[in-house]
Amino acid sequence: MLSIELGAPGTVRIAGRFDAAQCQTVQAYLDKLEGTVTLDCGRLEYISSAGLGVLLKTQKRLMAAGGKLRLTEVNRHLRDIFRYSGFDQIFDIEPAGE
Amino acid sequence: MSPPRKRGPNFLQKNLGSRFRGNDDWVAFPSSQQPAALRYIAAGMNLEPILALAGKLAAPYDLATMLAEVMDAATQVLGAERASVWLYQPETDELVLRVASDIAPVRLAAGTGIVGTCARTRQVINVPDCYADARFDPGVDRKSGYRTRCLLALPLIDHMGALVGVMQVLNKRHGVFDTGDEALGGVLAAQCAVALQRTLMMQQVIEAEKLRREMETARAVQMSTLPAAMPQVPGYDLYGTFQPADLTGGDTFDLALTEQGLLIVLGDATGHGIGAALSVTQLHAMLRMALRLGADLELAYRSVNNQLAERLPADRYITAFIGLLDPATHRLRFHSGGQAPILCYRAERASFEEHEPTSFPLAAMPLERLRPATTLELQPGDVLALLTDGIYECENARGEQFGVERVRRLIAERHDAPMAELAAALLRAAQAFAGEAPQADDMTMVLVRREPPGARRAFRRGTESLAQIFAFTADAVIEPELRRTVDLVIEELFTNIVKYGRASDTMISVDIRRHGRGVRVTLTDPDAEYFDPQSARQPDVGAPLERREPGGLGLHLVRELVDTLEYRYSREERTGRILFSLGGSDAVH
Repeated sequence: MLSIELGAPGTVRIAGRFDAAQCQTVQAYLDKLEGTVTLDCGRLEYISSAGLGVLLKTQKRLMAAGGKLRLTEVNRHLRDIFRYSGFDQIFDIEPAGE
Repeated sequence: MSPPRKRGPNFLQKNLGSRFRGNDDWVAFPSSQQPAALRYIAAGMNLEPILALAGKLAAPYDLATMLAEVMDAATQVLGAERASVWLYQPETDELVLRVASDIAPVRLAAGTGIVGTCARTRQVINVPDCYADARFDPGVDRKSGYRTRCLLALPLIDHMGALVGVMQVLNKRHGVFDTGDEALGGVLAAQCAVALQRTLMMQQVIEAEKLRREMETARAVQMSTLPAAMPQVPGYDLYGTFQPADLTGGDTFDLALTEQGLLIVLGDATGHGIGAALSVTQLHAMLRMALRLGADLELAYRSVNNQLAERLPADRYITAFIGLLDPATHRLRFHSGGQAPILCYRAERASFEEHEPTSFPLAAMPLERLRPATTLELQPGDVLALLTDGIYECENARGEQFGVERVRRLIAERHDAPMAELAAALLRAAQAFAGEAPQADDMTMVLVRREPPGARRAFRRGTESLAQIFAFTADAVIEPELRRTVDLVIEELFTNIVKYGRASDTMISVDIRRHGRGVRVTLTDPDAEYFDPQSARQPDVGAPLERREPGGLGLHLVRELVDTLEYRYSREERTGRILFSLGGSDAVH
């Protein structure tokens, strides 16, 4: 299951598995955010290309308005996926302290 | 064959022209006599019967009727008492009198007597006084009590110049046969020759057709003994197939669950045709009966052999593999009467074992004692492959055989595919190898694979199925890292099918097998358009943000993560299969 919720100011915590079935929920949540947002991925276990698409769309929207999406606490598995897809060049990615 | 048509005098004129002019090779009488013939016919004498005959000769009569028609017409047209038709048999160079009103069938060597001379010289022979002619045999008259005064022998030569026989016309009612009769007889003979030849050919066609129907019946009997559906045995993938050659061959196979275990049979009787078909049908029936009566493998094998040895003709035998597999212990015990090679693919070592027959072919002679059966234990992933020599000995145009090596190579490549697919691949390869050459022998095979551990489940098309898929993979793959990668690849491939595949009610099945440290996964779409995920467009993963699109990313990730990726599509079944393996190499994602 996936959960997404507000954390510290300017931070959103995403946890669980972000698969194709979760896209609408996450997209609707992220659409409400503005400015520069930190997405805490510390408890995100899994992401597929559908999830990457949601992050991409959000990044485009925020950057057009001068903001952006930062990804923090990204585990090794997720970093691999971001790297394979070239998303490491689109997002600021902060690795998890493994 | 053309239907009878109305024909005017022109028809005869034309025929006289074409048949009697200039072609001395098969002209019925010397061309110097042509004017007499034309005069005779032009005078209009006896034209009606010969015209009526022209119509009759075009009718689709059987041989006896056609002969009767010809002889009836000859007596009428030529005003004779009797007529007979001798048919020429080129194989024996004889003339055979099959029907002549009240005269018994007679054989005569070509060249002897008047009829034989007529056949040899292909010339009309007009004998005004038979008893004065040395060639005449009065013996026939003595037997029948009939007195032959004069006769006219006419060669029957068809339009291709082949001798069909000789028509003999006896006793002109008033006087003797003259040149006019010779001419008219020649016209008649030419027509009769063509009609008889056509009738003889028809008869051959009909006999061939009868034989073909008998063959079809035998084939139907043979097919009816084959299992209609493969038995379902948990943990096993079983497949048998029988691809008959044109003629009824002597192959059979059987896969049946009995109380003694799974019966596995592959048999090949000597020869083709009904005899061979019936031999294997008997083998089939006896074997099932013996097992039903509680016989063990040895008793069943021995009894069936001895029964067949007693019943079948001395020159007939059947090579056969007869085995019983216990699906619980995976132990296979078999006897093979001359059926070889017995191939067993061992998945763990990726190598083949070849086993020897345990006995001579079935029905060759009675069996007193039997060597012990061979026992094999099938391990996960192992494939038992039994193929008849119709496949191994299938020849290409250069006379080379398909051979065991090609079979081994295909099995090694496709041992993890469904057995039905492996069988189809083997048959396709053998047929491609043979090229244009017609299939000379039955092609039959039985494939038995012990499934490697794993699981298979079908899912509805839709992203809502993902949760069920992940629950399924969680059971099949325990290692969390491996499982996450497996999930990702399955999700990408599955959502791709859902998005771009057909809107179908059929389920997509996912099959996961352990393979060493990794897994082999097969996604099967039973209602698919052709789409090879390997050929999908490569996204630019280095492009700046503005130009980034999410499309194509999923398949790109798949290609990054898997060890191997393969796509198979069956046009006939509209089935697409994506096979991938991962986790087998050292790089664990």
